Amino acid sequence: MRVSRGTRLSLRVVALGYLFVLLAVPIGVILWRTFEPGLSEFIASISTPAARSALNLSLLIVAITVPVNVVFGVATALALVRGRFRGRGLLQAVVDLPFAVSPIVVGVSLIMLWGAGGWFGALDRAGFQVIFGIPGMVLATIFVTLPFVVREVEPVLHEIGQEQEQAASTLGANGWQTFWRITLPAIRWGLTYGVVLTVARALGEFGAVIMVSSGFPGVSQTLTLLVHSRYIDDHNTYGAYAAATLLMGIALVVLLLMTLLDRKRSDR
Amino acid sequence: MITVTSARKDYGSFTALDDVSLDIPSGSLTALLGPSGSGKSTLLRAIAGLEELDSGTVTIEGRDVTDEPPQRRGIGFVFQHYAAFKHMTVRDNVAFGLTIRKRPKAETAKKVDELLEIVGLDGFQHRYPAQLSGGQRQRMALARALAVDPQVLLLDEPFGALDAKVRTDLRQWLRRLHDEVHVTTVLVTHDQEEALDVADRIAVLNKGRIEQVGDPVTLYERPANDFVMGFLGSVAHLGGQLVRPHDIALERDRATALALDAKVPDSPGVIDAVVERVVPLGFEVRVDLRADSGERFAAQITRRDAAELQLREGETIHARAVGRSSVVDHDPALAI
Ligand SMILES: Nc1ncnc2c1ncn2[C@@H]1O[C@H](COP(=O)(O)OP(=O)(O)O)[C@@H](O)[C@H]1O
Ligand SMILES: [Mg+2]
Repeated sequence: MRVSRGTRLSLRVVALGYLFVLLAVPIGVILWRTFEPGLSEFIASISTPAARSALNLSLLIVAITVPVNVVFGVATALALVRGRFRGRGLLQAVVDLPFAVSPIVVGVSLIMLWGAGGWFGALDRAGFQVIFGIPGMVLATIFVTLPFVVREVEPVLHEIGQEQEQAASTLGANGWQTFWRITLPAIRWGLTYGVVLTVARALGEFGAVIMVSSGFPGVSQTLTLLVHSRYIDDHNTYGAYAAATLLMGIALVVLLLMTLLDRKRSDR
Repeated sequence: MITVTSARKDYGSFTALDDVSLDIPSGSLTALLGPSGSGKSTLLRAIAGLEELDSGTVTIEGRDVTDEPPQRRGIGFVFQHYAAFKHMTVRDNVAFGLTIRKRPKAETAKKVDELLEIVGLDGFQHRYPAQLSGGQRQRMALARALAVDPQVLLLDEPFGALDAKVRTDLRQWLRRLHDEVHVTTVLVTHDQEEALDVADRIAVLNKGRIEQVGDPVTLYERPANDFVMGFLGSVAHLGGQLVRPHDIALERDRATALALDAKVPDSPGVIDAVVERVVPLGFEVRVDLRADSGERFAAQITRRDAAELQLREGETIHARAVGRSSVVDHDPALAI
């Protein structure tokens, strides 16, 4: 398609303007408000006990979610691509469920399952608190981040096919050796990307987590919950901006890491 | 020796292998030859253990391996599309089987260097497969398969993805390699020329069945049926029989033709035909003919015979079959 110079120019202006208004302005405002009173103010605000606890909790949830999603995500992707079993179509659809269902619904359903009056409520009554405890927040996060690894690894598995694995088996490798030496290295970039997306989403998840958290500052607040409670409950607008900036900073580091890895991938 | 007994494999209602039995002598280079979809790969993969048979058995050097996984069959396998380990260097690819077997590092390195020298990839140790040509990748795959000292080497259309020149070079090279290494080798191909060129035995497959097994000369000269005859070289239909084009003689004089034909038993007789085209093919000349019945066929005669005959397009000539490659069991239903 040939586009005239004028059209091209105005398309560019529209695209940039759109990005500017929707992304750059809000982020800019937050950054500006955060650093306006100076760096020391910012550091003080993100190193209060509540903020430190929130950061730790967010990182803890990420640290549990990522390995779980890696193991089950790779296994599910393998089953979807290589498996010949009934119900594969159903599994395909189920994997995408977290994309389709609103996080708040996830929170509600978790309460119905694990809450004191829920199906697995016996656990709660026996003193192992899932809902309003860390396990509930982890469950909620795992649920909403479940598709990322599966959906990133699946196309790579399709693309590499099975011949390399079969070659390995004719050369004497058993299933486990084949997986570690052939399959895993072949899918590593897809897996990395899936992990990055999982981390970003796990850090940023709000709707599902707020439903199952007791929300006590310093106990069961993640960074997103901290931003929310500082702003809404404490009317500590500055604290909310500072926490949001911290959250954004972590996400930015993850994104940067991903871009670097991506560049390394295209080098090869 | 590889022995396949009553092998059967169905994909749904489709029968890929239909009661196949085959002996492959130790030290031979056997080709599984047949058209696409005839079950060659399925048979080879069943020998390798990459495909499970519905029934039947496979033994390798006297050991029943029917229920063994590929890694315990003592085989080397080469795939049409190389199946190179893309994330490993050439050296690591070739060393893979030895690394899995936890051989000492020095021994592995020595063996890998030897093999790379044999396959002509010396100096390519640190390249990745993406930095090799198709032919080089396939030679790497061969070295990788040979590194574990397999009892049998199985090759599934190993040259099928290469261009014509590289293909002929590599198959000559494979032949020489086999003469040196003597490992029992099974080569799958749909190319009759390739099979005739490299194999010392050929098994012809068609629709999941074995049509004939034998050495190249026997198969070419005494095909068991019309299918084998048609698949191993070109054929002409002459008076209801299949004849090789170079087994057709042309005569100017009808009486001479009749007299000579009388000496050939079971011949299709003398066919009068119009010369449609004379095509020089180098040493030989192909003559496209149309019989009175309307049937078209081609004869292939030497340049000298053609010169003596002074063939002109449009004139009538008398064709007869000489010393034809007789089909043992003539079955017109199989004719192609
Ligand atoms: N996994 C499979 N599922 C269904 N049909 C198959 C499968 N593998 C092979 N076939 C069929 O079996 C027949 C023989 O296949 P194959 O052994 O690959 O033939 P060849 O190697 O002689 O071309 C083909 O018609 C093919 O379509
Ligand atoms: Mg095939």
